[in-house]
Amino acid sequence: MTDLAAGLEQTLRRVVDPETGRDLIAMGMIYEARIAGTCAHVTMTTTTRGCPLTEMLRLGVEAALLAMAGIETAEVRLTWDPAWTPERMEPLSL
Amino acid sequence: MMALVLSLLLALATGIGPEDFDRPEALAIVHLFALGWLAQVMLGALVQFVPVLAARPLAFSRLALPALLTSSFGTLALAGGFLSLDGYDIARPFFLLGPVALGLSFAMLAVMILSTLITRQTLRLPEVRMVIVALAGLAGLWLSGAAMVSTLTGSRLAVDISQALPLHMLFGIGGFLTFAACGVSYKLFAMFLLAPEAASWQRRAVFALAALMAGLMMTGLVMLAGAGSVAPLLIGVCGISLAGCALYLDDVRRLWRARRRPTPELNMSCSRVALAFLALSVLLLPFAIWQGGALARASVFAALVGWLSTLTLAQMIRITAFLTWIQIFAPLIGRRKVPVVQSLTHPRRAGPALTIWSLSAGIGTLSLATGFHAGFRLALCGLLIAATQILCELVAIRCLSHLAPPERPARLPPLILPSLMNPPHSAENQI
Ligand code: HEM
Repeated sequence: MTDLAAGLEQTLRRVVDPETGRDLIAMGMIYEARIAGTCAHVTMTTTTRGCPLTEMLRLGVEAALLAMAGIETAEVRLTWDPAWTPERMEPLSL
Repeated sequence: MMALVLSLLLALATGIGPEDFDRPEALAIVHLFALGWLAQVMLGALVQFVPVLAARPLAFSRLALPALLTSSFGTLALAGGFLSLDGYDIARPFFLLGPVALGLSFAMLAVMILSTLITRQTLRLPEVRMVIVALAGLAGLWLSGAAMVSTLTGSRLAVDISQALPLHMLFGIGGFLTFAACGVSYKLFAMFLLAPEAASWQRRAVFALAALMAGLMMTGLVMLAGAGSVAPLLIGVCGISLAGCALYLDDVRRLWRARRRPTPELNMSCSRVALAFLALSVLLLPFAIWQGGALARASVFAALVGWLSTLTLAQMIRITAFLTWIQIFAPLIGRRKVPVVQSLTHPRRAGPALTIWSLSAGIGTLSLATGFHAGFRLALCGLLIAATQILCELVAIRCLSHLAPPERPARLPPLILPSLMNPPHSAENQI
């Protein structure tokens, strides 16, 4: 894994779902994340479509990506296809 | 919440006991409780929740505040109007004004909810259909209530109250409040338990039974106008309620078992107590319809206080925390470390209050069934203590009192949730 890719994962792991206290990757809410040049692309979902937090989470991910060294633009797309299900969550580590 | 505390205070102050439920003061208090507290919260919850169900913003959101104000006025006018039955003639004009204001408010809310909810995709969802049936129940509730008010004020449009009253209570408690609570709870429970949401056959069956029940009750309304007896219909409604309740509880149990949240939070464990009260009130329903009297009062109390209020109070604490969190911390996601929603609540404070509420609801139901005056008064005291504690807890959540000082913003949000007044403002500059 390149430094940038590791940084991307670390960044997304710092954004936490406030309902469960788990990060977005552990929640299975990140469908795709990649870096092309200085642009970070993320495709993500929310646990419930229409949840009042949706846009705030998208903006939060965008802000976190833009704070990464070497990233100048961030494109965060929301999708509910496929819809999130609890099976997407990483098992809790004990 | 104010209406809840006020109605309990009045019930204690006027010395109402199990034998006094037909007194005008009791009618006023029952309606302050049912309309000022339960119906208001339920309609507010629908307005908040319908955008989540339909995944699109609320339509005609400007109507929210006028609807809230008209319904508060209508409730007070109706409650005051009941006192005219005791000879306070000064309250008579209010008795007619109450249903007019309430009708206006219900119409505004129905416009907001239906125009948000009805799209080709959403209509396929059973929980959406359930909310629509609940609105039909609200219409039936209003029609039966207004017809009785018209009868009691001596106008020409009169119905047989002994026939209209059971239909009215079934419309209010079952057709409107319970159907709305079921429609909303599927999604809410799945969200809080992190359980898969797939619509089951039970859910479709519950919806079909609810629609059938609403249809039967609407037929009853038409029969009232023709002075027919509604007794056979009530037997049908009773059977459907028993079957529908069993299927609904089975569906919730399925969600509970499939949950991904290992230890359910306080709001969900209290919701289980509420569901037990739902079962109790539906089990009492056949006796209520056949015998009326004490068991009917117990069934109504178990439903309004034990089922609907316990559910509402438990979820209210959790949802107030969630909305407060969004208001303060959502703009900071991804920019700095934010606390979790749960840290805004204090289960050790809310837990005992909800336990006192549920125990008092149980004692109240039992006292009404057995006509035990002192027990009922004790239950009212317990309910008042619990409601006051929960109110304090809601204030504490809004003031972020349970949060460690470094995490608290410099300026607190206003005490009243702003969702009806204006959109959540950015809190970035507050911390
Ligand atoms: C969720 C809302 C409502 C619920 C749960 C509800 C429930 C009840 C109950 C339980 C009673 C019987 C009380 C007793 O015998 O002590 C009753 C009576 C009555 N309700 Fe409602 N009600 C609601 C809304 C309304 C509305 C909107 C109106 C008027 C538009 C209304 C008008 C009446 C009238 C006039 C009576 C008295 C009938 C009599 O003389 O016995 N109610 N209601």
